[in-house]
Amino acid sequence: MLLTIDTNDPRPIYQQVADGIKELIARGKLAEGASLPPVRQLAADLGVNLNTIATAYHELQKDGLIVVKHGSGSVVASLTSTERSHDELVRPLRTALTELVLAGLSSSKILSMVVRELSTVGKESK
Amino acid sequence: MLTHINQYAVMFYILFWVIRINGCIRRGRQPLLRGKEWFFNVHVQPDFYTGEGRKILHRYWMRMLIPIAVDIPLAIAIFWSGRLLLLNWLILGLCALIHINHSYSVDLAERQARPFAVPEAEQPVASVALSLTPRRLRDYSNPRFERVLAISTVLALAWLVRYYFAAPAHHNLRMVFGAPVILLYLQLGLLWVKRVVVAWRTPVPQEQASEHLEAREETRKHYLLVCDVHRAAATAGVLFWPIELSLSPASFDSVITAWLAFWLVFTIAGTVWLEIRRKQLVKIALRTRPVKLPDLLRQSEIARWPVCYQPSAPMLMLKGAHGYSLNLANTLTYLGAAYMAGLVALFALLRMGR
Repeated sequence: MLLTIDTNDPRPIYQQVADGIKELIARGKLAEGASLPPVRQLAADLGVNLNTIATAYHELQKDGLIVVKHGSGSVVASLTSTERSHDELVRPLRTALTELVLAGLSSSKILSMVVRELSTVGKESK
Repeated sequence: MLTHINQYAVMFYILFWVIRINGCIRRGRQPLLRGKEWFFNVHVQPDFYTGEGRKILHRYWMRMLIPIAVDIPLAIAIFWSGRLLLLNWLILGLCALIHINHSYSVDLAERQARPFAVPEAEQPVASVALSLTPRRLRDYSNPRFERVLAISTVLALAWLVRYYFAAPAHHNLRMVFGAPVILLYLQLGLLWVKRVVVAWRTPVPQEQASEHLEAREETRKHYLLVCDVHRAAATAGVLFWPIELSLSPASFDSVITAWLAFWLVFTIAGTVWLEIRRKQLVKIALRTRPVKLPDLLRQSEIARWPVCYQPSAPMLMLKGAHGYSLNLANTLTYLGAAYMAGLVALFALLRMGR
């Protein structure tokens, strides 16, 4: 269960942390109710500023993926409890697809790519 | 009686010297463990050891002699004064000095060697990974072992309470409970150290991540085992205390001699085991290629040394411009300071009762 940070990645570190945790949740490696390390501890372990992890956790909380319990840390929220509208869910998909189209990939290639990635995520999730 | 204890103090001191010779040889070889292309974890240029590297290596070896230079005059003073039991305190102090001196020395030598490193090797890796696999103290604890420690401690304390109340007018409270309380306090400290070791995580380079994680896991298990051995020794001390207090004057000498002889053998066996285990750990560590991790917090710009105050950087130790610096804004620093203050207060309390 590895969380990766890449300094060559154009995304800011907080975003990489948030995306990494999202991926672990999607793959089922962080199950519902699983505890996340406290902000201070994760910042110390990764060697980053406290605010970086606090921002990442805030984003995850905003997306309804984690529940921050004051005094007892954060836990992974129930995936069914995320009350996000259809539009909210489709928006990131549309952004990603737009980027792939702009990169000059054909529809069939994009589709096979999506299927492959989905199977990777699906394979490891429950 | 005192003569016997003094004799054993001298024997432990001699044993300490023998162990140190081995430690000096091991530490002396450390810079070249990875071969001539390496100086500790710095990938150096081919002509390093014929030029400046030779001087850096010699300076590192000379720094290793600092504890010996501290030890000799103090030991002479102790032997001169005849208070040979102070040798035990000297050993404890030297153990701390040797480890602090070695850590500082390695860090300094590496920093001195960095300008002579292969330029590509000095580039930090771009991608690092942090294991989020939950680790709990109970996963690294043996329930049977913990039960034995708990039962032994409770039995010893019950025996001491019974011993004390059998004739409270004749027994000094501090004399009966002083040593066990110190040993229990040390136990508590070791448990806390175990918890810190279990929780400790650092990122590893994504390339060779599994090898790095394996090496860290083995090192973690090793330190936890060392903690447990010391906890067992502390419990044995607690358990032996009521036995020692209940001994008749006739049997006291022989039992104490046997007890100290047991510890002497235990120390020798423990040292041999530790050396074997260290060699195994080195073998595992050598499978990993050392790399420079990215400095995401710009720690290298921290000029304060040996202590600093960085509330936004939650690490215990920060690798600043002049080496590792203790972060006073870390909770572990406060807890460690509180623990040491508690230990000093406990010793002061026990001395007052003499």
